[in-house]
Amino acid sequence: MTADRMMITGWSVVSPYGVGRDAFVDGVRDGRLTASDVDTERWQVPDRRASLVPGFDAREVLGKKGTRSMDRVTGLAVTAVGRLIKDAEGNQVVDTGPDTGLVLGTTTGSAQSMMDFTRSTLTAEQPFYVDPSVFPNTTMNCAAGQCAIWYQLKGPNTTIAGGRTAGLTALTYGRRLLRSRRAAKVLVGGVEEYSNARSWLDFHSRGGDDAVLGEGCVVLLMEPADTVGAYGEPLAELLAVETSAYLDNDLRPALKARVDSVLAQAGVDPSQVWAAVASQAPDTTNETERAVLTEIFGAATVNRITTGDLIGDTAAASVSFQIASLLAAAERDPEAAGKVVLVSSVDRSGTTGCAVLRLVGQV
Amino acid sequence: MPLPVSVENAGGGIMSHMVSGAASGLPRRVVLTGLGVVSSIGIGVDEYTEGIRSGRSGVSPISAFDTEGFAHSNGAEVVGFDPTGWIRNVPVDQLGRASRFATAAARMAVEDAGLVEGELSQRRGMVSIGTTDGEAFEMDGLVGVELAGGPDDFDPVRVRRTPASRLSTAIAQELRLSNVETSTIGTACSAGNYSIGYGFDAVRFGEAEFALCGGADAVCRKTFAGFYRLGTIAPEFCQPFDVNRQGILTGEGAGVLLLESLDSALARGAAIYAEVLGYGLNCDAHHPVAPNQQSVARCIELALENAGVKPSEVDLISAHGTGTKANDICETAAIRDVYGATPPRTVSLKSMLGHTMGAASALAAAACSLAIKHGFIPPTINHVETDPECGIDCVPNVAVEADLKIVQNNGLAFAGNNAVVVLGKYEGDR
Repeated sequence: MTADRMMITGWSVVSPYGVGRDAFVDGVRDGRLTASDVDTERWQVPDRRASLVPGFDAREVLGKKGTRSMDRVTGLAVTAVGRLIKDAEGNQVVDTGPDTGLVLGTTTGSAQSMMDFTRSTLTAEQPFYVDPSVFPNTTMNCAAGQCAIWYQLKGPNTTIAGGRTAGLTALTYGRRLLRSRRAAKVLVGGVEEYSNARSWLDFHSRGGDDAVLGEGCVVLLMEPADTVGAYGEPLAELLAVETSAYLDNDLRPALKARVDSVLAQAGVDPSQVWAAVASQAPDTTNETERAVLTEIFGAATVNRITTGDLIGDTAAASVSFQIASLLAAAERDPEAAGKVVLVSSVDRSGTTGCAVLRLVGQV
Repeated sequence: MPLPVSVENAGGGIMSHMVSGAASGLPRRVVLTGLGVVSSIGIGVDEYTEGIRSGRSGVSPISAFDTEGFAHSNGAEVVGFDPTGWIRNVPVDQLGRASRFATAAARMAVEDAGLVEGELSQRRGMVSIGTTDGEAFEMDGLVGVELAGGPDDFDPVRVRRTPASRLSTAIAQELRLSNVETSTIGTACSAGNYSIGYGFDAVRFGEAEFALCGGADAVCRKTFAGFYRLGTIAPEFCQPFDVNRQGILTGEGAGVLLLESLDSALARGAAIYAEVLGYGLNCDAHHPVAPNQQSVARCIELALENAGVKPSEVDLISAHGTGTKANDICETAAIRDVYGATPPRTVSLKSMLGHTMGAASALAAAACSLAIKHGFIPPTINHVETDPECGIDCVPNVAVEADLKIVQNNGLAFAGNNAVVVLGKYEGDR
């Protein structure tokens, strides 16, 4: 069954702590909060505070070539994928080409790019006086497609529009690509941008409660266990992942069923789970999610590692950030080595799920 | 390679035999037993079959948004669609235009497969819907509200309709499916094929006992204006492969397919439209909007390899066939790269349906399945003179009778997301 065992052998991150793994690992180790007052000159939003990638500008990070029309979400994704594929000196360390897949979770691509484009057709002198160079940004797969162009990723290239649970769906999708041998390795992750449009949509969607929105991108490198070795030692093994819809806003039984199912698939008892990382959505699902996890794992396991309270609601990137926080723990904490961990997720539109991993640890 | 079957799959019930193939360790054969269609040329399988057989045109002036200021504004809208005929459990006002199409088509597919509500509810399954724009139609409306009074005036009910994930979760909620994984695949205009391929893999490896998969999109101002600006909207008709073709017409609708294992279909005596033989995915990594001949050809080869099919065995190609100068030349050249100088007959459903974006390859797959089942080739309509640069027999204007064993369905997209699905006639053991 080795071909069915999936290993995570690399990761990269652009987070409210900054660009790169070191900033993230240090930030979560110190438990540093990233929310700051919203710059009201730049953003016209209902939020008072937000967790932004500090000073992020695609043209500054990636250079002027190929970034003239690039929107924020694409900039975040291209930056994160680049950090995984290339080393600090710019040398390619993960080969790309036709056997490398990319699976990227999103909410709707860039709501800002979509709504800006519509606005320009409504306010321009003629409805077709729109900028054709930004039209591709209004399609959800723009970020993944640009990553492919930047790094010549010619394998399966898939955008999952899943909101907060998108990262779990992306893991599931990536695992199937590997199992079916449609790719030899996959880059799997999630991306979310901060924008006026997202802020207003989320504000009304969650019912106007206070929230801190975050942004960023996390990309994991996943490979079948039987071919691991070319790009680094395994950091974690994906033991099981499962998502489902939930009906009638009745989250509790659906999440519990998913937790029970992934533990059974992984052959793991709840007492063996070292950390259960909740998704901490800034809405009413948060309390239910926490209650279900606490009932199964106990408060100490649920409290061991948290992410959303540090970096805000990163929506389609949230699951990937939860996993990143566990990989960060494995880098610094000898106790984490070999531990079984769980991440759970909820999207208020009606999906939930979780994944179980085993941390290998580097110590 | 055997896969662990989810513990929940072990239960009894009417469809418990669906896991038998997985238990034996071999990939299962996957068949298509239900179709749901919402389109500009017909709603439901019967109307749609009649539409594609008779070469019906779905073109009408766009009415879903204000087209003042555009010199021409034909589209292929779904007209006369009453969602309450199919959507009973989820309040319709919670669903955007695209989700309504998707949800109605999903219920049609389940009913067409001869399943009654409740039969699927406890089985582990999959709902996967591909889309280009998700609920951009609803977001367009919010922009109008913003311009009139500001974003503080957004209606929360309307805002909650906007996540693209609703296209798939709404189906689960409407059909009361509490044990399905849902995914909305946002790979633009090939997304329907992506979802069919995803359902195929999930059923084939025993990770899902059934899959409701396909695509959905609604016409919207954003996308119309974008294509108009690019100069790719045809003034009146869509004429794929014609020497005088002038571009696409934006269309809308949904196509949803019910996939299950062959064992399951046989055990319950289901009528089989077609077998899903395989698919291919790749990415051009070349240009945000222009297709790439070599990469499209490679994707076709991947699909044929996955299906275990030689080019000489393919009887029909359902092309992406948008009717733009660039697509049709690039795509037919890629087809000749694989098939040589005389490829199989190659048709474009978009001549009838317009470009239904994320629904396009799902509606085309539905048409391919109906063509296999009923033994005909749907025509490429509005055709006057074939472009010699395309060099294919596009079955102009009138359907022809044909015994189709294997059909290839192309989906190409912005961002170079190519997806090709291969369907075959089910004829017992192979």
